[in-house]
Amino acid sequence: MTDIFRFLAQSMRYPASEWFNEDFWSVLLSLLDELQWQEDKAELIRVKAGAKDFLEDVQIEHTRLFINAIPHVVAAPYASVHCKGDGTLYGMIAEQTKKFYREKGFALAKENDLPDHIVYELEFLAILANDDPDGQKKFLETLFTPWFKIFKSKVLEEAHHPYYRVVMNLIDFFTREEL
Amino acid sequence: MSFKVTRRKFLQTASIAAATLPLAKVVSAETGFVRDPFTPPGSLEGTQTVTGGVCEMCFWRCQLVGKVRDKKLVKLEGNPKSIDNGKSICARGNAGIKLLYDPDRLKFPLKNVGERGKPVWKQISWQEALDECGSKLKAVQDKYGSQGIAMFPHGASAKYPMDFFEKVVGTHNVSEASFFQCRGIRDMAYMATFGLAPDENVDMANAKAIFLIGCHFGENVHVSHVKKYLKGLENGAKLIVVDPRYSASAAKSDIWVKIKPATDTAFLLAVMNYLVQKDKYDKKFVEAHCVGFEEFKKGISHASLDWAAKICDVPAKQIQEVAEVLAASAPNVSVHPGRHVSWYGTDFQRIRAHACLTALLGAIGVKGGFVKGKGVKVKGITWPTVAEGGEEHNLRLMADKYHYAPPGTPTELIRDACITGKPYPIKGCVVWGQNPMQTIPNQQKMVDALKQMDFIMCVDVMPTDITMYADILLPEACYLERYDFIKTGTQWNFTDKQQQYIAPRMPLVDAMFERKDEIWITNEIAKRMGYGDKIPVNSLEEKINKELAGVNLSIEQLKKEDGIHIQDGKDPYGVPEDFEVQLYNEDLADKGYPAVPTYIAVEEAPKGFTRLVYGRSPVHTFNRTQNNVWLHNAMPVNPLWLNDEIAMKMGLKDGDEIELVNSEGVKSSSKTVIKVTPGIRKDTVYMAHGYGSKNPLLTVGFHAGADDQQLITKLAIDPETGCNGMRNNFVKIVKDGKSLDIPA
Ligand code: SF4
Repeated sequence: MTDIFRFLAQSMRYPASEWFNEDFWSVLLSLLDELQWQEDKAELIRVKAGAKDFLEDVQIEHTRLFINAIPHVVAAPYASVHCKGDGTLYGMIAEQTKKFYREKGFALAKENDLPDHIVYELEFLAILANDDPDGQKKFLETLFTPWFKIFKSKVLEEAHHPYYRVVMNLIDFFTREEL
Repeated sequence: MSFKVTRRKFLQTASIAAATLPLAKVVSAETGFVRDPFTPPGSLEGTQTVTGGVCEMCFWRCQLVGKVRDKKLVKLEGNPKSIDNGKSICARGNAGIKLLYDPDRLKFPLKNVGERGKPVWKQISWQEALDECGSKLKAVQDKYGSQGIAMFPHGASAKYPMDFFEKVVGTHNVSEASFFQCRGIRDMAYMATFGLAPDENVDMANAKAIFLIGCHFGENVHVSHVKKYLKGLENGAKLIVVDPRYSASAAKSDIWVKIKPATDTAFLLAVMNYLVQKDKYDKKFVEAHCVGFEEFKKGISHASLDWAAKICDVPAKQIQEVAEVLAASAPNVSVHPGRHVSWYGTDFQRIRAHACLTALLGAIGVKGGFVKGKGVKVKGITWPTVAEGGEEHNLRLMADKYHYAPPGTPTELIRDACITGKPYPIKGCVVWGQNPMQTIPNQQKMVDALKQMDFIMCVDVMPTDITMYADILLPEACYLERYDFIKTGTQWNFTDKQQQYIAPRMPLVDAMFERKDEIWITNEIAKRMGYGDKIPVNSLEEKINKELAGVNLSIEQLKKEDGIHIQDGKDPYGVPEDFEVQLYNEDLADKGYPAVPTYIAVEEAPKGFTRLVYGRSPVHTFNRTQNNVWLHNAMPVNPLWLNDEIAMKMGLKDGDEIELVNSEGVKSSSKTVIKVTPGIRKDTVYMAHGYGSKNPLLTVGFHAGADDQQLITKLAIDPETGCNGMRNNFVKIVKDGKSLDIPA
């Protein structure tokens, strides 16, 4: 699962040409194959084939969904914007998340970054996946799932681009407790 | 979505999947984590106090401390060491935290790959953003000359880039909202009378009478200023408030003059004429310091109480009463110079009258009067003046108008040149911390000026309305995240022990995301425009340290002193012998302007319409705070004040939802509610400024309340200064889509 979570984390980074390339793309499609998500795969292939500048389309979508956009930021990818607070960054849940990392013996490399960004949380799940299933379960239950549910539904509702819908469903699939 | 494979099943075959999928190969080698062996935090876990903050939720710049818990700013408070605001900060100051952590704040450089006004943003790297800004501005400069670049700066962080564009690039086309749409008229009118800008230097704490024209303290809050005002009231000062509305100050007043808007100058002339005619002015002061008393006396002699009473629609007796209270309290009178004074396009004359009245009362350099504190001067470090070309392309000089314009170029001249291409084209635009869509009247004109540009860049903290027109939008660190402005001053009450303070802005927390400060951004653009060798400092920290060195201080020392250096001060009272007041100003006469304060009537409301005036809300600073959750919740909309009798005639009730349409057919794009009150004249409606943003990026401020600025489409231009008067616009109320005439 470590690799899966690392892959999911990567897929939520800002799409830059250095990594959002053919290699990444073919791995993503293969993963969809493994999961037998053929419709999603076909849609991604179709949209990519029809795009003038596929990378830019995904960048614009990422900016609109997660950074600043019209009509408004759809879903800032931070727990505290969606959960246990009044919609601002660095709310209570962000502090709790940071504390959780620390208790497990980790800290953010960039101290000033917000600890509850989805990329960090997925990377942390990758770390826990190695040898701390209880920790992973607790992290998912108490810190990740409560906000991800809300975040995911906002993105699924508002996303124009299939890439982020697929990524949301992948994250959801691999972080759900019970299936 | 059809989940053909369950998670469990997938994981059972994970080894196969992992083998077939080279997942690890396509992810970055590094994660965002480092190992950090857990140590129980013990007593260190508590909150630390970080000193050195200087507030910029408005421009009063109160000194702050931040309560920081594990790198997170959890609370702002006044710096207990402050001799200015002390431990107090206002609601907006408190809510700075919400600005810091606002998810709508700009985070990364953005490029607009859509249209101006309907942007499609894409995050780009700083390298790409700066290359584009540098090369596009250079291209404009090469093709159209330096004058082809206009700049709209605002706030402390805009000073350094403004100096770069003025002194190094060499454009005169810089227009600061704080001057041309706010206080520039006041400063220039006092310059033409006292020879110095007044700021808000009235010693209200020690006054026997406080005279406010339009100032509405309580709604307009600047902490140490309000402290002075309240101390004065506590000490028994008589309060006279001239305002068409029963403002927060009017509610505390001894005399409320419910004046007809746009007639204040007539009121002031009558008061002055009365004092002169009745020999109730300070003859000693006038003889010692005033120039042109006889011409002045003659020039205002027509202003009888009855004359003014008719114009101002107030009883002659009340004008007399005001004059008597002022005379009885003289010289310890605070005639407030005002702050936002760009009202009717005749404002220079009105503000000259404030200054002349102050002089007639001898209220200068005495307790309660016009008194400038004696603070420390810290010399700023900035760009050298290297641009050649002198005044050749100075639009103001070319137009031979607005001879008393504040520094920079009047906004109207810049916009006209943009739109007409005459006398020369302006094709590049730099907006830094200003929102000219909301600060400058006639939004369509601004849009037209912007649409014809070859290139527009904006630097801001929040995605304000203007940022929708940027080609490149750069995120700036906010005032809590950077070094900056060195605030200096004295103790707030001049009769307390004389002290001076020096308080540079220091960061309370580090900047997040990719936000940068003005020195870094400007320097990087300068390098790309070929001015790398002119860069005066490499960082804000270096700049502040060099500036502090001029007064034998340093950042390190200031940190040791809890953010504020305090030293012995000087007695601020007294008038220098050579202090001169130009009651009659010959220079004004030479240039064809009235040399004695003169009342000039402005246009009346057309039938069915009424005059729209606006003011401040205690929880907002212009439009800068529109998106702040706490402040928004404190006052989510800006009700329209409507006289109760008029409301009854119109069949409107308190709380009715309405829109407004102005006499030029511009309709407000969002709704507000009505506040029915006897506390406003029948010929005036009022609303607080800073609401109803049209920018959907502001998730809280978007369409919350109505935007007065949108309805200010008629431009009155003050002839002496070229500043915009903004209260000559007339509105009707629109209810349920029906536009209703307002009875006279
Ligand atoms: S008056 Fe309020 S907003 Fe202005 S600087 Fe002081 S605390 Fe900040």
